[in-house]
Amino acid sequence: MVDRSFGWVARLACTVRAVVLWRALLLLPVFLFLAALLLWPYIEIISGTVAGWSASLKVLSSSALLWRNIVNTVLISLAAMLVTTVLAYVLAFMAWMTGPRARLMVFAFVLLPFWTDVLVKNFAWIELLRDNGIINDFLMWAGVIHEPLHLLHTRFAVIVGMVHYCLPYAFFPIFAVLLPIDKRLDRAAVSLGAGRWSRARLVLLPLSLSGILASSLLTFIISVGFFITPVLLGGPGDQMISNAIDYYQSKLVDFHAASFLALGVSLVVTVLVFVYQRIPAEGQHASA
Amino acid sequence: MHQLEAMRMPSASLKTFNLGDVRWDWLALWVATAFIFAFLVIPTLIVVPMALTPKNILEFPPSGFSLHSFADFFASDEWMSSLLISVEVAVIAVAVATVVGALAAIALHGAKFRGCGLVVGLILLPIATPLIVLAIGFFGFFARLHLVATPLGIGLAHSLLAMPYVYLCVSASLSGLDLQLVRAVQSMGGGVLAVFRFAYLPVILPGLVGGMVFAFAVSFDEVVIAYFLQGPDATTLPVRIFLNLQYNLTPVVAAVSTLLLLVTVLLLGMQMVFLKRRSRMSFLPGSFSMDKEG
Repeated sequence: MVDRSFGWVARLACTVRAVVLWRALLLLPVFLFLAALLLWPYIEIISGTVAGWSASLKVLSSSALLWRNIVNTVLISLAAMLVTTVLAYVLAFMAWMTGPRARLMVFAFVLLPFWTDVLVKNFAWIELLRDNGIINDFLMWAGVIHEPLHLLHTRFAVIVGMVHYCLPYAFFPIFAVLLPIDKRLDRAAVSLGAGRWSRARLVLLPLSLSGILASSLLTFIISVGFFITPVLLGGPGDQMISNAIDYYQSKLVDFHAASFLALGVSLVVTVLVFVYQRIPAEGQHASA
Repeated sequence: MHQLEAMRMPSASLKTFNLGDVRWDWLALWVATAFIFAFLVIPTLIVVPMALTPKNILEFPPSGFSLHSFADFFASDEWMSSLLISVEVAVIAVAVATVVGALAAIALHGAKFRGCGLVVGLILLPIATPLIVLAIGFFGFFARLHLVATPLGIGLAHSLLAMPYVYLCVSASLSGLDLQLVRAVQSMGGGVLAVFRFAYLPVILPGLVGGMVFAFAVSFDEVVIAYFLQGPDATTLPVRIFLNLQYNLTPVVAAVSTLLLLVTVLLLGMQMVFLKRRSRMSFLPGSFSMDKEG
């Protein structure tokens, strides 16, 4: 009996239909895994939101702190997005224009901070920016300033930290769009009498627009979720939405309000990711 | 100073574009690039000399050379227990993520059924979910299972973050699989295990190891979820650093940061060795942005 059933399985394994069965069997763990560790936490957030719906709404709508944190999140993320995209474009442009050796160097410089732990980077920024930190010490030693600039625990510090974190992420979408651009296009534009500025505006910019969009949106998506950097580099007035969630969860022990906010954040991010997926990935040969 | 300048330079370089003078705008671009390079690298590099200070306060440049901050780190029960917990958490995360991610990659290899893209999207979804959202969700979930403030809970949460990377690494390596090989093993009477051992395993091994290194790094560096799920016996190394950065800045933090940098360099080196046969690009963040699109 055992033999026969085993033979049946073996025969089944040889048929084409068995591939479907195997696929389902091998996919089972990942589905169980996602149901337990992704779906269930989401269900907790949703049920927490629903359970305390009216109470949370009352608490949150009357909170000046929350409103400030939301405005901070939008403003700081936008600032980080703009600066990061500009810097990433300069780096990507240089990597694209130069030869393979210089390109590797750019990659190395971009990848070092990418692989550095976020806490190590924050620690370094604290040491660079604080009142008796490296930048202030240097500027005072050089005689540029006579009393230390207040740099740490400011919005400026948060944006610097975020740009530093996001730059590697923003670099590669732009580089990926620049890479396939045919450099003969530039020469064609020259032969038609275009100056440098109009070539940049009429040739390079339209062809790399999708990369710029992808980079800025990606930076914005990453920025919205920042939690560590505002705590360590920002002041009390520079806290963001994640810090508000932490405040409700850890300080006020209001799981319902925290879930409410978390659900809101995840809805916004989902919409942004959805838009991001619709940005064409290729440069010159994209339909856009 | 470099950091401040670097943020202003690009606009300056755009202005010189107008001049039409070939030398000037290239020079401006190169200067801008140099400043951005400095901005990218200097923060990472100042950490190491700061750890070598002979004093008990952080200073730069160090007034001498000493390894006492490293000794302090290894002599501290608090730091050592956090290190152990981090390793324990990472081992759980890597084990679970590797099994699940690798099986999913094998299952979806060459699949073209309807909704296939949706399944891949679901597998990669954890990467695109904000950590704070997952942290709150895991807190509610694990509170029911009494897994809050346990290494097991944090490890399971990290396995969710790490699984997509294992999936990506293994499916990238599966592109080298020859299906003839599978049929050859079967024709010689090999069962499922033999097919896995002789056809799949040799092909996916670099991807598997690469994915495990990735998964380890993801877990070992993660701080937001670990912060929300922390407890007296479940404070991971990054959470301990985070708390020290807020309340207790000492050279020990510089020493830990230096050690973390060393681990990063080691893991990167391992990645390079194991992925050498494949494209060197696979450890670039390009693959990151690709998953966010996937």
